[in-house]
Amino acid sequence: MTEPISTAEPVAPPPHRRTRHRVLSVIGVILVLAALWELYKVVGKALDLTAPVRPDNVTMPHTWDMILELFQPVRRGGNLLILDLLGRSFWTLREALVGFAIGALIGFGLGVLFARSSLAERAFMPYVVASQTVPILAIAPMVVVWGGRLDIPQWLSVSIISAYITFFPVVINTLRGLRSPDPKAMELMRSYASTPREVLWKLQVPSALPYIFTALKISATASVIGALIGELPAGFQTGLGRALLTFSQQFAVQSTKLYATVIVTAAVGILFVGLVTLAERQLVPESRRAGAEPGRAPA
Amino acid sequence: MTVPAVEARDLGKIFGQGDGRVEALREIGLSVAPGEFVSLIGPSGCGKSTLLRLIGDLLAPTSGTLVVNGKPPAQARRDRDYGMVFQKATLLDWRTVQRNVELPLEIMDVAERGERARQMLEMVQLGDFASHYPWQLSGGMQQRVAIARALAFRPSLLLMDEPFGALDEMTRELMQQEVLRIWGETGTTVVFVTHSIPEAVFLSNRVVVMSARPGRISEIIATGLPHPRNEDTREAREYYDKITEVREALRREERR
Repeated sequence: MTEPISTAEPVAPPPHRRTRHRVLSVIGVILVLAALWELYKVVGKALDLTAPVRPDNVTMPHTWDMILELFQPVRRGGNLLILDLLGRSFWTLREALVGFAIGALIGFGLGVLFARSSLAERAFMPYVVASQTVPILAIAPMVVVWGGRLDIPQWLSVSIISAYITFFPVVINTLRGLRSPDPKAMELMRSYASTPREVLWKLQVPSALPYIFTALKISATASVIGALIGELPAGFQTGLGRALLTFSQQFAVQSTKLYATVIVTAAVGILFVGLVTLAERQLVPESRRAGAEPGRAPA
Repeated sequence: MTVPAVEARDLGKIFGQGDGRVEALREIGLSVAPGEFVSLIGPSGCGKSTLLRLIGDLLAPTSGTLVVNGKPPAQARRDRDYGMVFQKATLLDWRTVQRNVELPLEIMDVAERGERARQMLEMVQLGDFASHYPWQLSGGMQQRVAIARALAFRPSLLLMDEPFGALDEMTRELMQQEVLRIWGETGTTVVFVTHSIPEAVFLSNRVVVMSARPGRISEIIATGLPHPRNEDTREAREYYDKITEVREALRREERR
């Protein structure tokens, strides 16, 4: 047989060089943004701008002052801010991770249920959607109070709040992904007299993985937000949410602490999404990842 | 007398109800002998694919009786009597070629599936491509993998729905040759849907000519061409005569 084979591997630099390339581009973007920030301060001061933002050192502190603030004590005789924030990050990340795991499992379970039974979908989907229109700020205190009565550890209550906003994208995308296989592939499975469970695990779930990972990336950031917000009504002292609240109250006087905390919080979110992306690389072949050139045309 | 592979009597299929009602098939009577190669041909809308899907228990008939290997189609499906090949190869693109062929064997709990899949890939001459992914193969190669997968669990009946419809003419002729060879090696009964007259004549023992609205069988033409069929067959006088005969049968139906 002499049929041509389409070129299999796209020409790409080796992985380590690609990684280095990516790291350099990230650093480059950060430096450019910092430079723009400083440029605005210089130009703004020269032109005496008041809008959109005053370029004074409280509203817009120097970028290096934000970084240096990390290495100042939190209060007189206290730990360095960076150490304090790292400790808090650990707490918040744990709440977020557990919330993410709970939310992802519930989301996946509901997605499977809805894919299996359109009756269940019609019955429960409206409530799933409605759950996301209720402000998390209203839900959070309820969860904390109920959790307290049930003797659930406080951080777990925060995780449940985090799970509450995490599960939604997973339900929607799991459902969509489970329905994504070519109808012909479903017929093929039928012709093998396969059980619904075999169809689920051998055809539907693998087809759904790119969809599910897209949802998990959204959920990863949402779970951090959920944890931060959940910490506030919980009066949770040891997380990043508390630090953000405290430092935002001091903003008018000393803004660098809040900016420094925002940077650390963003890093936590990025770290989390990075972990999900890493897992995606292990489980989904490159050709099937979201945003990749599709390996096959839809039916 | 042996049990027919497929036996349809007064078979009818109606889709929808009321104003949306479409009669897809009417009074279909057809008997396919074990080991026979039968093609269904006709204009689009004649219900040839519907008939194939009824045989394969992907649809339920509205009226009439249908027996496959002496059983109701649903039972035949549970007994894994059907291998199916569609116009699209429908390979799972996260599995290698080898693992695609193993898929039905996994579901059917065949122990020596690795070995069996390798044999099937040798049979369709893709032994060297076992560890490739589907998107690395050409359309013709993908379709050969689909055939290997359909035959891996040795079904008694192979149902093919325009399997070469999306291939270019050269590849198509090669594939026809391959299917005949495989059919000769395995002794599987084949029901083959096509809209190509030469393809139907080249492949089949009998060509079932269908007409549209509602779908009916208008004529069944035995080709009577000797086996093995090869490039010489394509140039033989009898081959052209049969093509003409099928074409005229289709024309007659159009004019009616």
